[in-house]
Amino acid sequence: MTEATLWSRLLRPVLLTLVALFFLFPIFWVFLMSFQTNEQILRIPPSLFFSPTLDNYWGLVSGKLVTAAGTLELPFMRNLWNSVVLSTGAVLLSLLLGVPAAYAFARFKFRLGEDIAFTLLSFRFAPPLLVLLPLNLYFQTLGLNDTYIGLIWVYQLITLPLILWIVRGYFEDISPDVEHAYRVDGHGWLKTFLKISIPLARPGIAAAALLSFIFAWNNFVFALILGSSSIQPVTVGALAFVTASGIQYGQIAAAVVLSILPTLTLALYAQRYLVEGLSLGAVKG
Amino acid sequence: MHERERDLVAQFMQRQIGRRELFRRMGQMGVGAAAASYLLNTASTQVLAADFDWQAHKGKTVTLLLNKHPYTDAMIANLDNFKTLTGMDVKYDVFPEDVYFDKVTAALSSQGTQYDAFMTGAYQTWQYGPAGWLVDMNQFISDPAYTAPNYNWEDMLPNLRASTAWSGVPGEALGGEGAKQWAVPWGFELNNLAYNKPLFDKLGLGVPKNLPELIETAAKITKDAGGPYGIGVRGSRSWASIHPGFLSAYSNYGQKDFSLADGKLSAAMNTPESKAFHDLWVKMIQDSGPKNWATYTWYQVGTDLGAGASGMIYDADILGYFMNGGDNKEAGHLAYAAIAPNPEATAPTPNVWIWSLGMNAFGQQQDAAWLFVQWASGTEHGLFGARKMDFVNPVRQSVWDDQEFKDRIAAKYPGYIEQYTTSAPGSKIYFTPQPLFFNLTTEWAASLQKMVAKEVPVSEGLDQLAESVNRQLKQAGLG
Repeated sequence: MTEATLWSRLLRPVLLTLVALFFLFPIFWVFLMSFQTNEQILRIPPSLFFSPTLDNYWGLVSGKLVTAAGTLELPFMRNLWNSVVLSTGAVLLSLLLGVPAAYAFARFKFRLGEDIAFTLLSFRFAPPLLVLLPLNLYFQTLGLNDTYIGLIWVYQLITLPLILWIVRGYFEDISPDVEHAYRVDGHGWLKTFLKISIPLARPGIAAAALLSFIFAWNNFVFALILGSSSIQPVTVGALAFVTASGIQYGQIAAAVVLSILPTLTLALYAQRYLVEGLSLGAVKG
Repeated sequence: MHERERDLVAQFMQRQIGRRELFRRMGQMGVGAAAASYLLNTASTQVLAADFDWQAHKGKTVTLLLNKHPYTDAMIANLDNFKTLTGMDVKYDVFPEDVYFDKVTAALSSQGTQYDAFMTGAYQTWQYGPAGWLVDMNQFISDPAYTAPNYNWEDMLPNLRASTAWSGVPGEALGGEGAKQWAVPWGFELNNLAYNKPLFDKLGLGVPKNLPELIETAAKITKDAGGPYGIGVRGSRSWASIHPGFLSAYSNYGQKDFSLADGKLSAAMNTPESKAFHDLWVKMIQDSGPKNWATYTWYQVGTDLGAGASGMIYDADILGYFMNGGDNKEAGHLAYAAIAPNPEATAPTPNVWIWSLGMNAFGQQQDAAWLFVQWASGTEHGLFGARKMDFVNPVRQSVWDDQEFKDRIAAKYPGYIEQYTTSAPGSKIYFTPQPLFFNLTTEWAASLQKMVAKEVPVSEGLDQLAESVNRQLKQAGLG
């Protein structure tokens, strides 16, 4: 056995464990916190040993948490549902609009094409607060304030440019010859787009959809300003555990665990698309 | 209701007999406590309804923007009484405190009509009021057509009434001539000491009476308590770090934030007396404050006291009140005391934070909204909240005088009533009202951080602060 292989055999697992510990320990600690009472969490010094409780999760699911100070109402599951509706709705709408647009930008040269594509990307440059106050005024006039539809529309500022630009690069990488061959057989361009281009670009579309879902899920300020408390997502809802009479650390931890579950599940499911999709567009042929 | 029971409740409402006596006699008549409470609540609503048309806006719905707070919980718990009294409906939107004022500012600055009334702090009205976003409540309070005869505005603590009223002229006294009542006080907090009694007993410590004693006591705790540090105060880079203990102590030394001459403001933080005070304060934090003091907000100061990580705090009295309950480790162990930091001062001068109710100037149904504000800030709701919920501190003298409330507090919160009684006459807002309040006060906090971290000596730091503040005042046309 050479020295190099011995080193790599011994040292690699140790280093990998250290790196994993460094990155995963906070998540692990939050996971542990979600099974503890506030008093256990605030013990000095902190301890890894405790008798676990499911009260935090039960409180979130049932919507009521009974503490010594009284009953706390928790609309958390509603917040979670709002996040699912807003993020899914926003991504679906962006896919519907963004994928054909991305195809058009990739395949056809038309007047002001690049300018339009850049304008769409520039939505990402503007600080959200800059556009929020005027939007608030418009939304009140249009009656879109405090509606899912209004918010899904505004979320397009986050999701549409992302999907459009990632998927565009993807379409550009697919050789037009395949499409031409299909069209020679007598198929129209729409059928070519649906039967050839989209299936070929599917990994890229999945990756873009997943990324924009994560961005939409993590958004905070749009719903805060444009919606009432009944349509707030988890990002705003989780703050409700920080109250004047104390911070409910246990519930915050349980809420964090619950709120990362949907994105985590989606990411695990789509992981192979994500890696494949993001790297395939990277090298131009 | 039977005749005898009705008479009994009537006697109580006319204050001929006390609450205990009422319940005792009801008991003798075979009426249980729950039924007696029901009768009493109905009677209170009827008394409120007398001599005033509470049903003037029957069928309307007012929408409120509220902060997640025990005051909000108390109001929601009593809301059915308002609905019965007025025939109105109430919708409310509750947002967490961290984002609450962003929501209020956005709603008001975009001239939104969706909210009729909302919770606000007094400092925020210095921005909202002159901008034309708030209704001047004077027009309602002083008009018997809008306000019930038993509302008794004079019963509101005078300093709080004044602290929520301002003419809008920078530097002019709060509650002075021409002041507009931008909000109605709802609940408030003043700043004093809350301490861990068993720890003080164990170490044989007395409760400090002034700042030098506080510094000494805090140092002893840090040295001898075997873990807990001496004194919890806020330190984050925010205006909210200045307004509690710090400004209360600063005012007690007779110091001011600004001086006013010929209508122009100038910084007053770098006088020799102010520098001497800052020296003491900075030393206290360096010697006995929390390790991460520069990140400390309301939450950390409170959590540490509740978890037994600090020996005492110089912060809002209700923060200590909240930490004495719930699932805090030190629940039931906390006690309270007033402090006059200046050894030469005769009484404490706590700065106050007032949660108040404001009305949206763009609201479409201000008369109906005023009915709600009137009810929520009235005596009946104040008594309900103070007796049954955590609606403390009350803003009405009659609630402070209520024996049931006093008994409840005295039983669980030793020294709380006393610290209030000692401090009440001197409790008010000690800041000079001006529109740059948030920016300049945040800069003060940043400057304090540098002094505590020894990045700059106190004297030099304050000179730099005053120079920067004066420059900004000039730019804004205020200095």
